[in-house]
Amino acid sequence: MTRARGTDGSLLSSLPWTLAALAVAALPHLPYLPVWITAASIGCAAWRIVIEKRRMSLPPAWFRGGLALGGFVSVYMTYGTISGVGPGTSLLAVMAALKLLEARKRRDQFVLLFIAVFLNMSALLREQYVWSLPYLLLSLVVTMAAWLRMSAPASQPVRQTIGVATRFVGYALPLAVAMWVFFPRIAIPFWSVPIDTSSGVTGLSDTMSPGDITSLSQSDRVAFRVRFDAGLPEPRDRYWRALVLHRFNGRTWSGSSPVLDHRFRDRTEFVGEPVDYEITLEPTRTQRLMSLDIPESWNLGRTHVSRTNTLWRELPVDQRSVYRVRSYPRYRLDADLSEFGKSWYLGLPEGRNPKARELARSMRADATSDRDYVDRVLTMFNVEPYSYTLEPPALGANPVDAFLFDTRRGFCEHYASAFAVMMRAAGIPARIVLGYQGGEVNPLGDYLIVRQADAHAWTEVWLDGSGWERIDPTAAVAPERIESGRSGAVLDGASWGVNAHSRLAYRVGMAWDALNARWNEFVLAYGPENQKRFMRWLGFENPDWQRLLLTLIGAVAALVTILHVLLILRFRPPPHDRARQLYERFVRRTGVQPRPGETPLEFESRVGNTVDPRAASKITRAYLDARYGDGGEGAVAELHKAVRAFRRRAPA
Amino acid sequence: MRLASPSLSWLPDIREKTATRVRGWARKRQGQDSLVTTLRPGRVYILPTGVGVVFGIMAFAMLLGAMNYNNNLAFLLTFALVALGFVSMHNCQRNLVGLEIAFAGVEPVFAGDPAQFRIALNNRAKNRRCQIWLTGGDQASYSVDLPRGGSEVLVVPVTAERRGRVHLQRFAVRTRYPFELFRAWAWLHMDLDGLVYPSLATRPPLPPTSVAALGHRQHDARGEEDFAGLRKFQRGDSPSNVAWKAYARAGQLFSKRFSGSDTSSQWFDFEALAGYEPEDRLSILARWVVDADRRGEDYGLRLPGREFAPAHGAAQRLSCLEALALFGEDASA
Repeated sequence: MTRARGTDGSLLSSLPWTLAALAVAALPHLPYLPVWITAASIGCAAWRIVIEKRRMSLPPAWFRGGLALGGFVSVYMTYGTISGVGPGTSLLAVMAALKLLEARKRRDQFVLLFIAVFLNMSALLREQYVWSLPYLLLSLVVTMAAWLRMSAPASQPVRQTIGVATRFVGYALPLAVAMWVFFPRIAIPFWSVPIDTSSGVTGLSDTMSPGDITSLSQSDRVAFRVRFDAGLPEPRDRYWRALVLHRFNGRTWSGSSPVLDHRFRDRTEFVGEPVDYEITLEPTRTQRLMSLDIPESWNLGRTHVSRTNTLWRELPVDQRSVYRVRSYPRYRLDADLSEFGKSWYLGLPEGRNPKARELARSMRADATSDRDYVDRVLTMFNVEPYSYTLEPPALGANPVDAFLFDTRRGFCEHYASAFAVMMRAAGIPARIVLGYQGGEVNPLGDYLIVRQADAHAWTEVWLDGSGWERIDPTAAVAPERIESGRSGAVLDGASWGVNAHSRLAYRVGMAWDALNARWNEFVLAYGPENQKRFMRWLGFENPDWQRLLLTLIGAVAALVTILHVLLILRFRPPPHDRARQLYERFVRRTGVQPRPGETPLEFESRVGNTVDPRAASKITRAYLDARYGDGGEGAVAELHKAVRAFRRRAPA
Repeated sequence: MRLASPSLSWLPDIREKTATRVRGWARKRQGQDSLVTTLRPGRVYILPTGVGVVFGIMAFAMLLGAMNYNNNLAFLLTFALVALGFVSMHNCQRNLVGLEIAFAGVEPVFAGDPAQFRIALNNRAKNRRCQIWLTGGDQASYSVDLPRGGSEVLVVPVTAERRGRVHLQRFAVRTRYPFELFRAWAWLHMDLDGLVYPSLATRPPLPPTSVAALGHRQHDARGEEDFAGLRKFQRGDSPSNVAWKAYARAGQLFSKRFSGSDTSSQWFDFEALAGYEPEDRLSILARWVVDADRRGEDYGLRLPGREFAPAHGAAQRLSCLEALALFGEDASA
């Protein structure tokens, strides 16, 4: 037992390569892995190298078993589960570290390299940046170099190993790309993907509590990108709807879970010209999908419209998604809302925000109509000393009262909330819409970038005869925020986008974003729809999956044939040996067995009566010239022709 | 740790039977090979290794994962691995196709020792051929890399159980390069033969003139030599017997001769060893021949129907040992 654990230093030439492959594969995981796993893995690797160098014994089985159990339990304790990308990656890292401690033979490293491949795979499940592709290729080369190193002679130079691995990966790439293009993509996942709740993604929350947040963190992170088929809509129409809140408890606005609405076409009247566009949505890990007010049709599977005309998906959007939507900026929504329907949007908690309700009652009494009342409230926001700020003071138990009468400073949430309360207090149905407003045009890519900082809240009020109408009270306070199509955060100068001093930085940033946008559209979003479009572009009328499969097989067969020919050429003998091969083919065709030590000329005179003597003489002379004379390639070609023409036949 | 499972005990049997049948088929298909054979594509067989099968399963699992997540880079990684499998397969086969394999001789051995069949591998290609080894004997050879135009001689050892001829009907050239996902091999049927001398008797009786030889050796040890004259040098004469002074004078090699070493020429006689089994007699004779040769003595060998006049040197040793090796076989042939 003790002897079986001994090491003999034979792994010294290959183990560092395997470790390098593991390290390269694990590096993208580093920000996500618990520190103890990183430390333990590096420790195990160092320990293993020392063991190999000093030819010490590997740790005993009970020790390794204990470590395995400890690692497993620790991963479970850290995450509370063992499924999902995070725990899975951690388990892989633990497995690699433990396997390292029992790897004794060269071939044990196969398992480690398989783990390296899986680490690469799980890194791609986490993030798919533009640089993920070159990094993946680098990792593949290192892994395959380590693979070669297992059986290569220990004296092989590093450059040669890398070179050979690069060449093999290079051979494989065209084939891989062909398979990537033609492999039929299907829309439906086999099993539901566990949501990784541990890594929070900033964006819209499900509720809104103005006054709780005293400082809005402004994020430059891209929420989604939009490419319009025709021109961009007006800035005042760039409202990206995500979800609607209707329940208010005096402090917090909340909505209800999305429900499939079969009747949305009955209650929605689309007016005017549609706007067609394609959204590349960054993962939100929620079911919400953004769309321009108001969506009419879309092409994403398992996606529905709710009773509040927002789009939602059955599964959380946990990866970058691309979908096309047709929206109508002009519409009539729920023009005949029932009394019961109205009651949903009128509720106010008793005893909260009494001053606001009193103000609403008196202002409504002065107004001639609901619409006049709406205008009066907006005018109040505009004329009275209300101001827009991203760092509002905290509000008390009656946040609407406090905001309207005391602080008078806030951002979109404060205004939307106060406005909706004012409306409801006056008996007008009102609700809060959360989403994004505006977006930044990238001149290099001709598309719109919408960032997390563009998150916005506005209101919709239901007016008799026209249905739900969008009212953005923030526009009354800070119209430039809406008109410029840029977010308040950017106006604050927090981002490189506008206030950046360097034009160059701006251009580089825009170019980088354009590259990312292309990457998202062409590589990451290559799904069933894009594949169909690409196949149509190639000239396939109706590209179903059977046809795709046939194309795939054809392309792979063609490329494998090319590969085969390439290898034949690489292994082709140099000219003088080629001459010998040709001559041997001639000898085989004569059907006469050559005698040991027989010269070509002797052979020629001996076969003279079984085959055409002239042909035999010609071939023999060409052969001698090519192999021993200075005939070179020309003589080889001559010989090739003569041998090809040679047919065994009896002399005339 | 391998668990013995009785229910699967027939499995190795079936494997063996299948392997025998496949080899028979290959022999019939290929015919006998000449002593210098260049591998044609149809001669090289290829199958995935265990690692290759696991690799394939892994790629399939990754494909399912990529499809489930609809993750395009995961697709690309998966397809890159599949493509590497394709490349590995084709390169593995090409690693052997076009390789020239030549028989490079085998030295005679004594029964019980392994006969070392030397096989030369010649790479006539522009490209390097990597990690090629031979099997078919008692143990696999080590693997070699053949650079462009390079040659290596590998050994297929076959232990010769009995005197006579040792036969190497078939051996295989193998490679798993690159990545060990596939194993390619070619069977070669060169029908090679090596000579096997009888095993040397470990406790032989003293040869007939052993007393004289022994006395002579003791004589030598005391330094008192019965010098009996010079003789022209023959191949196989011991360098210690060369008359270097005569060489300096005449410029020609002479061997010193001592009294007793040529006058009492020994005869090793098969018939004289009555009371031993025939094979044991051959072993004893072989031992005598080897010992006498080592001492540089003249000796003659008498076998039923054959006789080798007393002589010494390598030629005498080789012809005597060959006669012992093939004793009784030539007659039957």
